[in-house]
Amino acid sequence: MLELKNLYFTVPISDNGNSGERNIIDGINFTFEQGKFYTVTGPNGSGKTTLAKLIMGINPISRGAVYYEGRDISSLTITERAKAGIAYSFQQPARFKGITFRDLLTMATGIEDEKQLMDIIFHVGICPMSFLDKEVDAKLSGGEIKKIELALTIAANPKLAIYDEPDTGIDLWTIGPMVHLLKKEISRHPTTTIVVSHNRVFLEAADVVLIIDKGKIAFSGDLTDALPFLTDLNVCTYRDSCGGNPDAE
Amino acid sequence: MLNNIDKQLLKTVADMEGLPKGAYNIRKNGKLLQRQTSANIDIETNAEGTGIIVTIKPGTKNESVHIPVILSEAGLYDVVYNAFIIGEDADVTIIAGCGIHCGTSAPEGHAGIHEFQVGNNAKVSYVEKHFGAGEGTGRRTLNPTTKIFLAKGASAQMELTQISGVDEANRVNEAILGPDSLLLITERVMTEGAQTAISTNNIILQEANSRANMISRSVMKGNSKQTFYATMDARAKCFGHIECDAIIMDNGTNETMPSLKAGHPDAELTHEASIGKIASDQLTKLMSLGLTYDQAVNRIIQGFLK
Repeated sequence: MLELKNLYFTVPISDNGNSGERNIIDGINFTFEQGKFYTVTGPNGSGKTTLAKLIMGINPISRGAVYYEGRDISSLTITERAKAGIAYSFQQPARFKGITFRDLLTMATGIEDEKQLMDIIFHVGICPMSFLDKEVDAKLSGGEIKKIELALTIAANPKLAIYDEPDTGIDLWTIGPMVHLLKKEISRHPTTTIVVSHNRVFLEAADVVLIIDKGKIAFSGDLTDALPFLTDLNVCTYRDSCGGNPDAE
Repeated sequence: MLNNIDKQLLKTVADMEGLPKGAYNIRKNGKLLQRQTSANIDIETNAEGTGIIVTIKPGTKNESVHIPVILSEAGLYDVVYNAFIIGEDADVTIIAGCGIHCGTSAPEGHAGIHEFQVGNNAKVSYVEKHFGAGEGTGRRTLNPTTKIFLAKGASAQMELTQISGVDEANRVNEAILGPDSLLLITERVMTEGAQTAISTNNIILQEANSRANMISRSVMKGNSKQTFYATMDARAKCFGHIECDAIIMDNGTNETMPSLKAGHPDAELTHEASIGKIASDQLTKLMSLGLTYDQAVNRIIQGFLK
């Protein structure tokens, strides 16, 4: 469904007057199968969000290719990828002046009819009807805007849905239903779902857990097998500097 | 008689499809074109013959009055002095606006000097749109001045919009707020090419528990320039807020100067201001919903100026 072939994202760096390059994504190869739930996790700065943005076309790939439904989409714009059925929920959604949730829903779905929009909100279930005419501006709480972001992605009926840390700012009582909702969408369409998260609930929900470390896939498989890797990464994120010495300060 | 250009201008600045219901006064090229009064709203020419006096009876509810101005005479600079006296407990809407059609190289302009006296507990909603059109190269100028006096418990909501096609604008808004009164001003201005617009606002929160909120939204395209001054002058226990945002496109420039003066220890005054290009995260979000770059820009500007 989605295939990443030898994927790189490289940025220029400058260190003590010497310029060079750093691979934020460092040669990733992976195939995402249709209708499966993937949770991408890993330490801060490991490249999880960058990888998600490369798939959506938000960051340009430096080398390699992204194949979607058998087609090389590496040179497609964000707009073209959206029209091809890829949807993206941002970790920190944009806020607007003068644009409402209704406006965004209409843009995402092409639907203007009041009843149909209400049906969508009812189906998604995560946002109250009163959200419809709320401006998506700085007055919304972090949790409210994340719910709107999630609803927009689901409303678009994507073939591939990417959620970057959807639980940030969301109350504990909503995370469970959120996972249930994403699972329901997978069984309905089936939507290939990629969630970037550190939350155990999403790790437990995943068919496949991907652990990204230093721009590479350190592990892919089920959660049981992933746990030793996760524990290892949690214990020490300074392995490079301490050399693995447990007594190092 | 209204010709097609007149009708188009009236539709743009006052949403008028034909003549409106209720009271109206249509001014064309410096002269009265048509007028109608109603049982509760009187319109008469002032003693000097330089404008109109609109008198709204106390207690008038849910009525509106249209007072648009249209210009299409080459070389004319029309100045009009209008007064609005809004009786106690009235709740009315006033739709103003000026449309200029310029068909030659001669300049055309209009200065509407409007003064509002809003009575105790009365509510007024004032909607004003400015628009320039026509194939002529003559400079189109609009210099409106609005003065508003709010009595005890009165409220005024003012929507001031400059849509497009105005080469030069110099707007002045002045307000004095009585006890428990409320003033909401929303100003939206879009300029392009070499157009310039200056907006000067001076709001005096004179009496206790008065509240004012001034919102300004500016978009500068091409090489246009806008300047925005706003002062909240608090002289009693009151609340005032200024919010001014400007979006720069192309090579537009902007100067924004919000100013707060607290002349009373219980005054609460705040302001927020921003100038910049459209945020990239906004563009990316809308493109991720399937809009092209240009569609995303237009939609963000449309919302910003809504």
